[in-house]
Amino acid sequence: MRGSTLFVPGQTVIHHLHPVTKLVITFLCLVLAGTLPSLPWLLTCFVVLLLPLAAIGRILRPFLLRSFAVIAPFVISLSVIQGFFTPGQTPLFHLGSFIFTFEGWLAGLTVAARILLALGGALLLMLSTRPDRLMLALTERGMPGSLAYVVLTAIQIFPRFQERAQVIQEAQQARGLEIHVNIFRRLGLLVPLMGPLVLSSIMDTEERAMALEARAFSRPGRKTSLLLLEDSVWQRIARWTIMVAALGLIVLSFWLKFAR
Amino acid sequence: MIQIKGLTYFYPGQERPALQDIDLQIPSGQFCGVVGPNGAGKSTFCYALTGFVPHFFRGALQGEVKLGQISIADANLGKLAGEVGLVFQNPFNQISGARFTVREEIAFGLENLGLPRKIIERRVDETIDLIGLGELAERSPFALSGGQQQRVAIASVLAMQPKLLVLDEPTSQLDPQSTQDVFRILDKLAGRVGTTVVLVEQKLEWLAAFADRVIVLSHGHVSLDGQPQKILSDEKMEKFGIGQTQYSLAAAAAKKKKLVPKSRDFPITLKQAIEFFK
Repeated sequence: MRGSTLFVPGQTVIHHLHPVTKLVITFLCLVLAGTLPSLPWLLTCFVVLLLPLAAIGRILRPFLLRSFAVIAPFVISLSVIQGFFTPGQTPLFHLGSFIFTFEGWLAGLTVAARILLALGGALLLMLSTRPDRLMLALTERGMPGSLAYVVLTAIQIFPRFQERAQVIQEAQQARGLEIHVNIFRRLGLLVPLMGPLVLSSIMDTEERAMALEARAFSRPGRKTSLLLLEDSVWQRIARWTIMVAALGLIVLSFWLKFAR
Repeated sequence: MIQIKGLTYFYPGQERPALQDIDLQIPSGQFCGVVGPNGAGKSTFCYALTGFVPHFFRGALQGEVKLGQISIADANLGKLAGEVGLVFQNPFNQISGARFTVREEIAFGLENLGLPRKIIERRVDETIDLIGLGELAERSPFALSGGQQQRVAIASVLAMQPKLLVLDEPTSQLDPQSTQDVFRILDKLAGRVGTTVVLVEQKLEWLAAFADRVIVLSHGHVSLDGQPQKILSDEKMEKFGIGQTQYSLAAAAAKKKKLVPKSRDFPITLKQAIEFFK
């Protein structure tokens, strides 16, 4: 599989789950991230729910690496901002007149943990699901086929776009364009690159559109698929249970908020 | 059977017709080569056979193109897609991009036609066998060479089992080996499967060896039409800016230097050339 996708091929139970089942798990994570009250709850959920699923799917390593790569900047920036600007009883240190409080730091970490949990669900989905299977599952449930096409081609054509940019840049270099310069001059170099790159892509568009037409892309009526998505009664029950639980959580959290 | 009667076509906003008064009949299963200089209307001719003219490009169309009982001008592109196939010059642009393996890429058109899965599987397997893509079936279509991609593009259109296959210079970006592969496939199709093949091609030697018929287009109308032997050795070919096969050129030079008697027929294939120079 070539293209800009996170998918890690595998034959595990997690890989074979119906994409919508995983999408529902992602939704649950999103709801949990939004409703759980405190840091320990959030981290426990991440560890007890997502890590075992990632381990079963044999994607624990990429799962953790990607999670931390995304979450680290949030942890730092949110800690700093919340730490200095949330008033609290327990000052940890101060910078001039700004006081860094423990309560603020905790609040920052809590927001970061919410992001981690929500992101984790999506990561699990992306790492273990082939994009075309996900799109097929969604088109089967009413998403327009043209939208699925746009998503899937974007995944595959973008790297080709980069390759083409590389070729154009090398050709320009061969004719004496200096590209090893400082960052500001380098931004200027995008101008001669974008011209040929964008123009050649626009010229390709007509032929691409015709080639798609020749493959009956715009034919009205139902489409079928060579891919077969496995589904089961158990998964259907699990999906409904999780959906009900997630919606229940939302209702419960609103009730708690307004009952107080 | 394709019937073209009084076909004249203007692109939108153009005063000069791209195609002018074309009358042709192409019987089913014929392998028909189309040659002509730049701007002769070869691509437009391909589009007119497959419905892109007038349905994609708009413009004004006079006359009639009929594929069996279907009038191309009255049908729509979605409906025509299963009946006619069009293969383009650039292999890369024909890969849909929405599928991740060659096998699925070939199935893409069939999925759009809404065929049952069992039939899709069978047709994809048949096409893979016919075109000889077995080893590439599970690879990404983007990880292939130009020649391999072009074979995938042809397979993708063929799987839809069109009655008419139109190819617009499909070998212009291919190496000699891939060119040979493409011609072998087309020959097999026209000969065994009974698909009508219309091929625009600059490589005259290949047309001489494989085509049943050659049509010469210039300035949007048919200038010459007949068997390759007759057309490709015609001295008028030079006038149309198409040139001649290497074999005819060598023969002409030999005749001029009186190395060979003038009465001998111009050769257009390697086999004939060997006879000629004996």
